[in-house]
Amino acid sequence: MATVEFNHIKKSYGSVEAIRDFNLSVDDGDFCVFVGPSGCGKSTALKMLAGLEATTSGTIQIGGRDVTELGPGNRDIAMVFQNYALYPHMTVRKNIGFGLKMRGMPGNEINAKVEDAAKILELTNYLDRKPKALSGGQRQRVALGRAIVREPSAFLMDEPLSNLDAKLRVQTRAEIVNLQKRLGVTTIYVTHDQTEALTMASKIVVMRDGMIQQIGTSHELFTHPRNIFVAGFIGSPGMNFFRGPVELDAGQPVTRFGGHLVRLPAATAALAGTDAVFGIRPEHIQLTTSPINVGLRLVESLGTEKILHFQIPKGQSLTNTEADFGPDDQDRDVQSMLIRVIDDHIYQEGQSVSLLFPQDKIHVFDPATHAAIG
Amino acid sequence: MTHLTETTILTKPKGPRMIDFSAPRHRKKFGYLLLAPAVILMALIIVYPILLSVDISFQDVRIARVGASDKPWTLDNYRWLFASHEFWRACWVTAKMVVFVGGTALVIGLATALLVNQKFKGRALARLFVALPWAVPEVVATVIWAWMLDSSFGVVNWALLRLGIISEAIQFSQNSTAAFFAVCVVMIWKGYPLMTIMLLAGLQSIPEEQYQAAKVDGASVWQRFWYVTVPNLAPVMGVTLIMTTLWVFRDFAIIHVLTGGGPLGATTTLSIMTFEQSFSYFRMGQGAAVGVVTMLICAFISRALVSRFASKSH
Repeated sequence: MATVEFNHIKKSYGSVEAIRDFNLSVDDGDFCVFVGPSGCGKSTALKMLAGLEATTSGTIQIGGRDVTELGPGNRDIAMVFQNYALYPHMTVRKNIGFGLKMRGMPGNEINAKVEDAAKILELTNYLDRKPKALSGGQRQRVALGRAIVREPSAFLMDEPLSNLDAKLRVQTRAEIVNLQKRLGVTTIYVTHDQTEALTMASKIVVMRDGMIQQIGTSHELFTHPRNIFVAGFIGSPGMNFFRGPVELDAGQPVTRFGGHLVRLPAATAALAGTDAVFGIRPEHIQLTTSPINVGLRLVESLGTEKILHFQIPKGQSLTNTEADFGPDDQDRDVQSMLIRVIDDHIYQEGQSVSLLFPQDKIHVFDPATHAAIG
Repeated sequence: MTHLTETTILTKPKGPRMIDFSAPRHRKKFGYLLLAPAVILMALIIVYPILLSVDISFQDVRIARVGASDKPWTLDNYRWLFASHEFWRACWVTAKMVVFVGGTALVIGLATALLVNQKFKGRALARLFVALPWAVPEVVATVIWAWMLDSSFGVVNWALLRLGIISEAIQFSQNSTAAFFAVCVVMIWKGYPLMTIMLLAGLQSIPEEQYQAAKVDGASVWQRFWYVTVPNLAPVMGVTLIMTTLWVFRDFAIIHVLTGGGPLGATTTLSIMTFEQSFSYFRMGQGAAVGVVTMLICAFISRALVSRFASKSH
């Protein structure tokens, strides 16, 4: 068990900068998740921590020890890979015990430790099978077993759930969290799935283009996103954005949505006379009597939960580049806003609904820097 | 609905007797139908000659003629074969050659495959050079080697003399041991590129994550080679070894051009013996018997190895 620290880490491939000035401190026993769209550098950061990739500059410390120049085997870490990376010719028992064997542990001790790990992961009946005779979930548990049996200072996990089906993913997610809590080992977990990040992490690091966008708990990221990217990336569906002027109405800051006034948080009064980007989460928009009326373009029903799409008034939507949340989110329509409702009402496409944007739920961003204001 | 009905009518078979080969029930029949020409051709050019040589091996034939009246079947050829010193010596020479050529070609092939699997400048060119001996026709390559190994003006003897390794030229055509190893060297030179190409393909199919996992587990370079590379390559190695073994068994050109099976039978393998009996001594019955026994040994080896490695890889 140990702390993990990245100090001014950079990584370049020729002229391409994959990681730019990465600084992070992970406390002992933390479950830290790196999340971001494909190509944001999260896996590269993890591989540098594992010693599988060299750093271009900066230092990495595990448990206060500088490991920047050490090989992966000397860092006292264990890693779980996306495709599990099990040795196909070895039985489950040998797969789990491989790391201990490489460290020269006697056979009987290895066996005892493997049996213990197998008991925790409910793999006892499969110990003498080869990986090909196991299901995806079981293979995943073998990969976890290989990590926990070593009792390392830190677990590194590189998208370990992406090869599982949706149902198994939810189940394994909980298993990993419980296991981590039980063992108390510092864990660095990489995923592109923000649901995984929000549900599992005690600390989330949101990354984009090799840079950290925000570090915080799921609550902090959700309620106080530091910029448009984090606001749009975190949440399912992500935050809605529209552009508008900040004006004063009887001394209170307001903006306009179509022709109608929308009250803004009091702190935005200082911005009067400028333009800003406003954000509101789909679950925060209220369907209630209000002067703002919109026609529904699309109704997506997920049983009790419905996602209602409506068009942003002309000239108020963000451009595609402004609302770029990575290659995983290409199909996002910047012309539309979404409302997430959970009720028994049946909505029809083309139906007109009236909306209210609660004043305290509106986020304000600088249109030039994209940073949150207030 | 109207549209659907029209489509149904259009796709309906025109005649009641036409078999729809795309139907699950008839799919297999279509497969057999497509295979039939190949199977018939194989039977004509492979199975028939085999049966013919088995037939000849049971007859006392000096020169076989197609259409000549059959002689009565006899086991004389096989009796001669198993009692003959030449046959057992040919078996021993072949076995030695298979082990030496197969083993050395595997080691060199694996080493070069590992080398050209690394990332370095000019890798494509290096891969081309490694594969080059394979592309040179066997007879051409052997003639080049025959010149190089010549005891009077060959470059090999010259180099060995200049380096002080030997004090007088090696007589590759007169010394039994030298002739055997000369044949082996040419065979290895000709045979290792196939090993390299096959093993390189095998190496490229090993997932990088297995090496990364082994590194994180603390495995050294040798341990990664032993616990990741070798087991992953085993099926490819097995198949390639079978191919090389069978190639050494049946190779004729290299030995015939280089030593002609000599001196004193030191390089006479089963295939050279088959040729000698049939076309040098014109004892085609006995030659056929050697050929049939060789075929049975090859079939036995490949069956044993194929099933062994096939079960490993799946």
